[in-house]
Amino acid sequence: MASNLRHVTTPLVQNNPVTLQILGICSALAVTTSLSTALVMSMALTVVLCLASATISLIRNHIPNVIRLIVQIIIIASLVIVIDELLQAYAFEISRQLSIFVGLIVTNCLVMGRAEAFAMRNPVWPSVLDGLGNGLGYSLVLIIVGSIRELLGAGTLLGYTILTPASQGGWFVPLGLMQLAPSAFFIIGLLIWAIRTYWVVQVETPKFRLKLQRSRG
Amino acid sequence: MNAKRPFWASVAGVTLMQTIALVAPSVVTGLANPVGYAVILATSLLTVWFWEGLFAALRRRKPSGHGITTALIISVLAPPDLALWQLALALSLGVVLAELVFGGRGFGFLSPAVVAASLLVFSFPEVALAPGTANVALATIPGAILLLFLGLISWRVLLSAAVGAGVLLMLSIDGLDGLAIAAAMTFCLVFLVCDPTAASATNPGRWMYGLLAGGLIILFSGGATPTTEGIVFAALLASIFAPLIDHLVVLAYAKRWKIADA
Repeated sequence: MASNLRHVTTPLVQNNPVTLQILGICSALAVTTSLSTALVMSMALTVVLCLASATISLIRNHIPNVIRLIVQIIIIASLVIVIDELLQAYAFEISRQLSIFVGLIVTNCLVMGRAEAFAMRNPVWPSVLDGLGNGLGYSLVLIIVGSIRELLGAGTLLGYTILTPASQGGWFVPLGLMQLAPSAFFIIGLLIWAIRTYWVVQVETPKFRLKLQRSRG
Repeated sequence: MNAKRPFWASVAGVTLMQTIALVAPSVVTGLANPVGYAVILATSLLTVWFWEGLFAALRRRKPSGHGITTALIISVLAPPDLALWQLALALSLGVVLAELVFGGRGFGFLSPAVVAASLLVFSFPEVALAPGTANVALATIPGAILLLFLGLISWRVLLSAAVGAGVLLMLSIDGLDGLAIAAAMTFCLVFLVCDPTAASATNPGRWMYGLLAGGLIILFSGGATPTTEGIVFAALLASIFAPLIDHLVVLAYAKRWKIADA
């Protein structure tokens, strides 16, 4: 059991899908302008990832190798359609804000990557845990980025005003930059920097190195 | 080869020469509004040197003062009524993200002043950067000649950017006021577009980079007399393309040599 639990815990920070594997960046940029959309997207992705891993792992010995990607995509796409319909039925406003990004979970490298790398070769229970761990790791990054962007960009969290903006008589001047996509890049970049300062092993060897200067200029 | 390199071609020398070139435009800007300018300059210097000192301490290196050029450029571009925390925030992000995370002056591929100025405009849409004036432009010329003479800015970039902007302007409007356009562009062209670490580094690349920057300036200024914001964004976008342009030029050279060898 303890060995199975590591499938959940390592992808949280140490082997985080976004910050180490650099997967699922597009959606992490697009849906993190507010915390509520980030939360809903995280939940949708985690559910899809767990169910897809379970299903694919269940039939892994019956999937012909040549068409395995097609089978995986069919399973993932079916799950995503169900989630998308559920969101449209019960949370229409959020579903409209997330626009195509719930549908695009189908093409999210994270879901495909875990199916191909883990669920195809492991029994059901570890696969579900692996899906859950990676889903939660992705969610963690989305929630951090979403909180920072909503708080500094609009002064609110989940729509509740935390910092009263100057336009409503407060002192806080919202940073327009935080609502634009580049800020998500900065924040994820700074997160990666922090994580790699702690786990130095994750630092990649540079492709090019400077030649030692013979004389200091 | 390195041993013979003159002082002004070293990193500290480039900073020193750029600082000398920036003295005149800074004085002209400062004279228009002495107190406001002094406060903005002091805040800028404090911000950039704080981050440089912090990074030098963390990396156990000798402290350096390269941020002075960034602070001087930003102080010329900043509007006199700019809130100081906005200035400090934009400058911090610009200096850290465009220069210090890469390892310091000369290791990044963007000009920290350009990044700071564009972050200022992106973050606070109500901030309008100071438009280039005739006095600042005139004061820029001696410094520009010094930098050109020492080879610290490329005449190819300067010329092709001016040509690119001029041709597009001629196509877009009639009755050009050439002096007003030159006044609006000179400072930013010399210190932002021609930045030695951000511009292309191969000769054909410099022509392409300059033309791209010049064209973008007019595009971002809406086809009229260039605005400071337009030039800043053009410099940012063009310098993002500079490594790609250089890469293509090097590939083309390599291909030519391969054919010559065969």
